[in-house]
This record gives sequence, C-alpha cells and structure tokens, in this order.
Amino acid sequence: MRRKSFWSWVWIALGAIYFILPLYATFDFSLRAKKGVLSFLSYQNIFNDPNFWKTIEFSLVIAVFTIIASIILVVPTAYWIRLKLPQLRGMLEFISMLPFVVPAIVLVFGLIRVFSGAPFFLTNTFFGTDILLVAAYVVLALPYVFRSVDTGLASIDVVSLTEAAQSLGASWSTIMFKIIFPNLKVAILSSAFLTLATVIGEYTIASFMVGIKAFGPYMSLIGQNRTYESSSLAIISFMVTWGFMGLIQLFSRGKADSSSLSGAR
Amino acid sequence: MLSKQDSLLNGKRDAPKARPAPLPWRNWLGVVPFFLFAFFFIALPSLTLLVGAFRDNAGKLTLQNFVGLFDPSILNAYWVTIKISLATAIGGGLLGFLMAYAVTVGKLPNSVRTSLMTFSGVASNFAGVPLAFAFIATLGRTGLVTLLLKNLLGINLYDQGFSLYSFWGLSLTYMFFQFPLMVLVITPALDGLKKDWSEAAANLGASQSLYWRKVALPILTPSILGAIILLFGNSFGAYATAYSLTGGFINLITIVIGSQIKGDIYYNPGLGYALAVGMIVVMSVMMAIYYMLRRRSERWLRK
Amino acid sequence: MRTKTMLFVVSLVVVMSMLLAACGSTAATTAPSSGSSSMDTLVAAAKAEGNLTVIALPHDWCDYGDALAGFTAKYGIAINELNPDGASADEIQAIVANKDNKGPQAPDVIDVGYGFGPQLISDKLVMPYKVSTWDSIPADSKDPDGNWYGDYYGVLAFEVNSDVVKNVPADWSDLLKSDYKGQFALAGDPRASAQAQMSVYGAAIYNGGSADNAQPGLDFFKKINDAGNFVPVIAKQSTVAKGETPIIMRWDYSALADKDTLAGNPNIAVVYPKSGTIAGVYIQAISAYAPHPNAAKLWEEYLYSDEGQNIWLKGYCHPIRFTDMQKRNVIPADIAAKLPTFSGPIAFPTIDQINAAKKVIGDNWMSVVGADVK
Repeated sequence: MRRKSFWSWVWIALGAIYFILPLYATFDFSLRAKKGVLSFLSYQNIFNDPNFWKTIEFSLVIAVFTIIASIILVVPTAYWIRLKLPQLRGMLEFISMLPFVVPAIVLVFGLIRVFSGAPFFLTNTFFGTDILLVAAYVVLALPYVFRSVDTGLASIDVVSLTEAAQSLGASWSTIMFKIIFPNLKVAILSSAFLTLATVIGEYTIASFMVGIKAFGPYMSLIGQNRTYESSSLAIISFMVTWGFMGLIQLFSRGKADSSSLSGAR
Repeated sequence: MLSKQDSLLNGKRDAPKARPAPLPWRNWLGVVPFFLFAFFFIALPSLTLLVGAFRDNAGKLTLQNFVGLFDPSILNAYWVTIKISLATAIGGGLLGFLMAYAVTVGKLPNSVRTSLMTFSGVASNFAGVPLAFAFIATLGRTGLVTLLLKNLLGINLYDQGFSLYSFWGLSLTYMFFQFPLMVLVITPALDGLKKDWSEAAANLGASQSLYWRKVALPILTPSILGAIILLFGNSFGAYATAYSLTGGFINLITIVIGSQIKGDIYYNPGLGYALAVGMIVVMSVMMAIYYMLRRRSERWLRK
Repeated sequence: MRTKTMLFVVSLVVVMSMLLAACGSTAATTAPSSGSSSMDTLVAAAKAEGNLTVIALPHDWCDYGDALAGFTAKYGIAINELNPDGASADEIQAIVANKDNKGPQAPDVIDVGYGFGPQLISDKLVMPYKVSTWDSIPADSKDPDGNWYGDYYGVLAFEVNSDVVKNVPADWSDLLKSDYKGQFALAGDPRASAQAQMSVYGAAIYNGGSADNAQPGLDFFKKINDAGNFVPVIAKQSTVAKGETPIIMRWDYSALADKDTLAGNPNIAVVYPKSGTIAGVYIQAISAYAPHPNAAKLWEEYLYSDEGQNIWLKGYCHPIRFTDMQKRNVIPADIAAKLPTFSGPIAFPTIDQINAAKKVIGDNWMSVVGADVK
C-alpha cells in the first residue's frame, strides 16, 4: 500500500509541476504592469471594465444551457444504443468525432446559412441567435461529452441494471433519472466540466454569431493590444472557470449522495 | 440467468422469454432526437463543406480542389499533423492515465482528486493564444525555466538545440490540454474497476503486476483506446494554439486550411473545403483502426 | 370681420401646408447631393434602422475604438461588433455566408486590404456609394463607380523593445547583424497575414527586388533565418514587451499605438528602415446585402468627414483625405504634432502588383524560408 501511494504522489507531483509552471509564468508577467514593481494593476484594470462582467456573465449563462442540453441529448442516446441498438454505436462515435474535423468557421457559416432564412429565421432576433449559439456549442462539446458518457457506461452493466429495474416495475423515466444518471455521476461531471471550459473560451463561433458580447471575443479584443491585461485576463478566466467547476462539483455531490447506487468505489 | 444455466446443464433449448420481444421500430424511436439534432446542426451546416469542395472561386463545378490535395507540401502538412496528433495522444494518454490512476486506484486523498478533476476541466480547454504565451513565458528564449536553467545550472537550452518553436516544442504545449482531457475521460473507467476484483486476484495469489496485466488492463483497454482516439481528434483539429506558437513555420493542415479560408492573402475556400474533407477522410481511417482494435479488446466481454 | 379673419387663416394654413408638402416632396424626389436636407434624411433613416454591424475592427487599430464610440454618441445608433480579430477573407466570407440573413450576424460595412478591391466587384459583394466628400479622395485610391474607396494607409516600421535591444536597427540590412541573434520576428504568417506578407514584399523592394519581383524578399528572409536571427513565432505586443521577440515589423500605426499603451513599460522605439519602406492601403465598402444600408451609409459619411478622418489620424493612420485636410488646415495642432513623419522612399504598389506578390510569397514561403520541421 505504501509503495503504491508513493508512486501516485510522484505522478501527481510531476503533473502539478508541469501544469503550474506555465501558469506561474503567465501570472508573474501579469504582475509587471508597473515598471520595475510587482502590482495588481492589470487585474484592477480588468475588474474595473464593465465589459468584463457583462461578457463573462453572458458566456456563463450560455455554458449552463449548453451543459444541460448536451447531457439531456447524449446520455439517453448513448444508453439506449448500448441497450438496444449496439450496431449503431460505430455511427454514433463517428458522428461524435465530426466536430473535430469540421473547422469552426465552416460550422458557424453553415449554421448561419441554414438557419437564417426560411423556415427557421433563428438569426433575426437576439434570442434566436442565442439558441443557435447553444446548439453550436452542443455540437462542439459533443466529442467530449459522448466520450465521457460512453466510458462511464462501459463501466456499469447497463443491461443487468435495466432488466433488474424493469422486473421491479420501474418506468423508463425512473430508470433514467434514478438509476442511470446517478451511476454516471462522475462521467456527467466530467462532461459538464469539459463543456463549461469549451464554451467560456470559445472564439470563432461566438465572434461571428454575437460578436464582442461573448467572453471569447472580449478576451481577443483585450489580447490584441493590452499586454499585461491579457495575461491577467487569462489567469482570471482560468480561476473563474475553476471556481465555477468547483460549484458544479459541490452541487452534484449534494444531489447525488442520497440516491447513488453504484458500488464501484 | 436461469435459462442459460438450464441449457448448460441439460442441453435443452432456452426457455421462452418472459416478455414478448419489443417491436423493432420502437427501438429506433429512442435515438431519433439525437440523429435529428445531428442532421440539422452538424450534417446540414457541413454540407457547405462538401458542396464547396467541388466548386472553384467562380462557383463552377470542378475537381481541381481535390487534385490540389496531392501537392507535396499539402501531403506533408497532413503527415506532420498526424504525427503530432499521434505523439500527443499517446504521450498525453500515458501521463494522463498515470495521474488518473493516482487519484482513483492509487488512493490519494479525496481533496487531491477533486482538485485534479476540476483543474483538468479548466486546463483541458486552456488553449490558443493564452496557452501559447504561457509556454513562451516559460520555455521561450526569455522564459522562466530557460533563464532559471541558465542562471542556476549554467545550461543554455537553446544552445543545446532545444527550441519551443519546433515540432517537439509544439507537442509539449499540446500536452497541456491533452493530459487533463485524458484524466477526465478515463477516471470513470478507473472508478469502475471494482475493488473486489483486485482482492479476488490477490486471494488467488496473483501479484499486482499480474492483476494489472490480466485483469485490469484488459478491462480498461476499450476505454483507453476510446480516450486516445479522442485525444488524437482533439490534437488533429487544433488550430489556435498551433497558429499562435508556430504559425507559418510548421506545416500543419489546420493552418493551411485557415490560410485558404481566412487570412489576408489567399482566398480559395474551395481548396480549403477540400482539405477539410481530406481531414474527415484521415479521421475516418483512424476511427476504423480504432474500431478494429476496440472490437478485439472487447471480444471477451461479449456474452 | 370674423369670416374674413377665418378665411385669411384658412388660406394661410392651406398655403403653408401646400408649401410644406412641396418642400417634402422635393426632398423625396431629388437625388441626395451635398446638402443638409439629404443628410438629415439619411440620419433619420439610419436612426430608424437602429443598429449597425461592423466586423474585424480592433479598438486600437487606427483608434477605431473612438470612432465606434463617437458614432454611437453622435447618432444614438448601437453597433454590433463581430470578429474583432478577423482578417480580410473573414469579412468577405461573412458577407457571403449572410446573404439571406437580415440579423445581427450580417456585416454592413467592411474594411479590407487594397488588393481585394477587384474581387469585391466581380463577386458582387458590395453596393456602390459615394460619400459627400468623395471628390477629395485621391483618384487612384477609389473605384470610379463608388464600389470601394480607400480609407487610410500606414507604412511598415520596426517596433523595437529598446530596453532589451540597446543598438536599435536602422535599416533592412541591419537585420542580418549578429547582434540580433534570435530577436527578430514577423507579426503574422506570410501565408495569411497582410502585415507579414508586406514585410517580405517590402524587403524585396529594398534588397535587390522591385515592386514586380518579390522573390528577393524570400531570399532576404532566408538569409535572416540562416543567420539565426529569426524567431519562428507570431509576434504580438506581449511577446515584444516580454523581450521574447524584441524586434518586429509592424504597421507604424500599430507600433505607435503599442508604444502609447505600454507607456515606457518597456520602452518602445519605432524606426523606419532608412532605405525605404512600403505602404499598406485599406479600403472601405458597404455590403450589397447589408441589413442596415442607411446606417452603413451614415457610418461612411462619419468616417469620411473631417471629424472621422481626424480620429484615424489620432490613431496614427494616414487618412486618405489627408492632403485635402492639410490644405484646408482642419487638422488639430496636437494631433498634427504626433504624426509619424518619414521622408524616405515609400513604395505604393498597385493592386495587380500586390496580388502577384501575394502569390509568389505565399506559395514559396514554406519551401524557401520555412523551417521544414519534422
């Protein structure tokens, strides 16, 4: 047991050094806005900018809707395919990888072309545009969400669980919400994290759909001409995203503990 | 199940199923929402890609764009991109797996696990200009680590031949989002390794390494393969990081596509679309290889 | 008596309304020329549209930040800003993709490189419009039918972090000196960025080539690379400030804007190569599919008014009506004082020359200079 722990600490320590160094280098640079002194001036400049607050709020809201939409879309589908239609699994995997090879700029212009005219007219209103943005992000997050959920499903015996539940008289919604979702808690959490991070920093789609209202284009605007502020903004967005993920983690822990059936750990 | 045991013991045929088999078409209903979504939000918009690949700048139909794919510099671009994607998928997969292992099976405290998971969430998408700059600030000519090594240990990295602005420098930078992605995706699988299995193996006298080789790794292999193909795709499609760090000087296919579709110089979207179709082809080939490998590794799981 | 007064008042009212109606209809039927009544109609129509969508306008590029804010403050029209980091092809793609879209994703106006002018016309992407100050725009900087019109230009200069580089380079040939080992970078990818490509083109003109022969530029950069002076990264303000790429080639207006922003932390020197430099001209156009055509026209009027041109001047760009404004003495003294002055040769390649050079440089960059890294 001791030996196993030792190597575990080694890997984590190595990983930690690798991750912390570049972040520390950025942080160090962001403190040098005043010549020769270390100061938080660049952070103050960001926090005093009302556009920072507006854009990050906008992107966080979009992110939350994207997370909910992707989970509702992907989890039942992946579950159903494992259960009833295993022959479709390959196609599902292939579709889930497509967002990697379709360049974001092609996707955004394609979405605009398809949904701006008849019969959808989604792009004519700001609200419709936001819906389209969420849909675009669900597409972008699809590879990560699907892979996490699929990995999670692989580690639970979907068939037995379902049959046991059905023999006890459970309806499909009970199975979904009281059995499958809690057992996939870790996988869903991973998906939520990945989706949140994807949406917050995304640039191309946001920049052509909503312009500088979103956080990604705002970061780009700052990054072009404000050296120290762009470093502090990178650190701030890192921290904000991390904080939000911590919240999601806390929220999920409270919910799931009572109904978790998994005995894996 | 009881019926199976019956047939094993008595050689009799299986007992009839307790429930009538569901109508086949109803099965397909469950996947309709997803395929509808995929049709409207992935297939239709990407149609521009397929159609545009066959048009030239004047809008006429042509195969010239696909002929352009076989230009040596473009074939080289595909090859370099595949190489960097494989390198970072496997390298990222390895360290990511080890870190995920450390916080699951390795039994590190829960606080370490939570920090690692949330941190991985953020780090997996820390890419593009901020990541490029972070690495320039660390390993560039005036980077933190470079200067540290020079001043403390007298080693001049750049004189030794290292450069951040090279294939390996870019790979190192890519790893920053590949490791965390691996951690996030493989942790559920590692969680699924039931403790009873390792205990049962130990009871039967198996050593740790035997347990891993014969029990744990075979169970994990399908998930590991799935994670690696995800890492491959993630790296294959990466654009912003590569452009910020090495744009113009390392021949990556996403950058070539970018220069045809965006940018100030070229404007040949037809060629850009054809190149993207080429990427889809490469991705499909990789997925086919992955699929083959995964089916083999799952063989013993099928009843 | 009362009937008479009544009659008088009624006829007065009738005559007045007839006069007003006549005035109104005259304004509607005659084509808008220079004259305040047509400008007012334009303003009213633009305000009715309520929004303007622009694309690829960074706030510190020719001080567009002040132009955007000034326009909204003056006319109360909100501006949607798309894709602040975009390049010319992004803007053109955005017009093409949004042909059927009247929403806020469709750009109304674009600001692209000089070389894209002919394509805008042949692809039918723009609607012609001649601003009220049309005649003071030099003839070679505009399309005679009003499809596109030059807005400003800048010239290439060295942007140097003078805290790191003590011996600031003065000319193109200095870039080959061994003092600058690992210190020079371009501000973009020559296959995608106008700034980077013009740097190579400019190098060609003053180092053995000409406006018609861009190949020597590639050879010159190969020499810089072989000398070990070239850093293969895309340089930005942050990499200059960090000292990672202390010498870069930039449009002088961007370099001067960087100098202001950094405010001595570190010190930036903006140096024009002694033997000469090259100008980059940009052009404005209104999208043929603009959802807010009147707002777009008003925006152009604003930009080409003395007020708008002076904003660009504040951002260190040479507005296209510069000579005219100088003659009429409408440039504020404080802005005039900060103007970049360069008396050496400036090359102004024609559209055909630019497009030819683009092809040569773009196609051959990788093979001649590119570190073919394996």
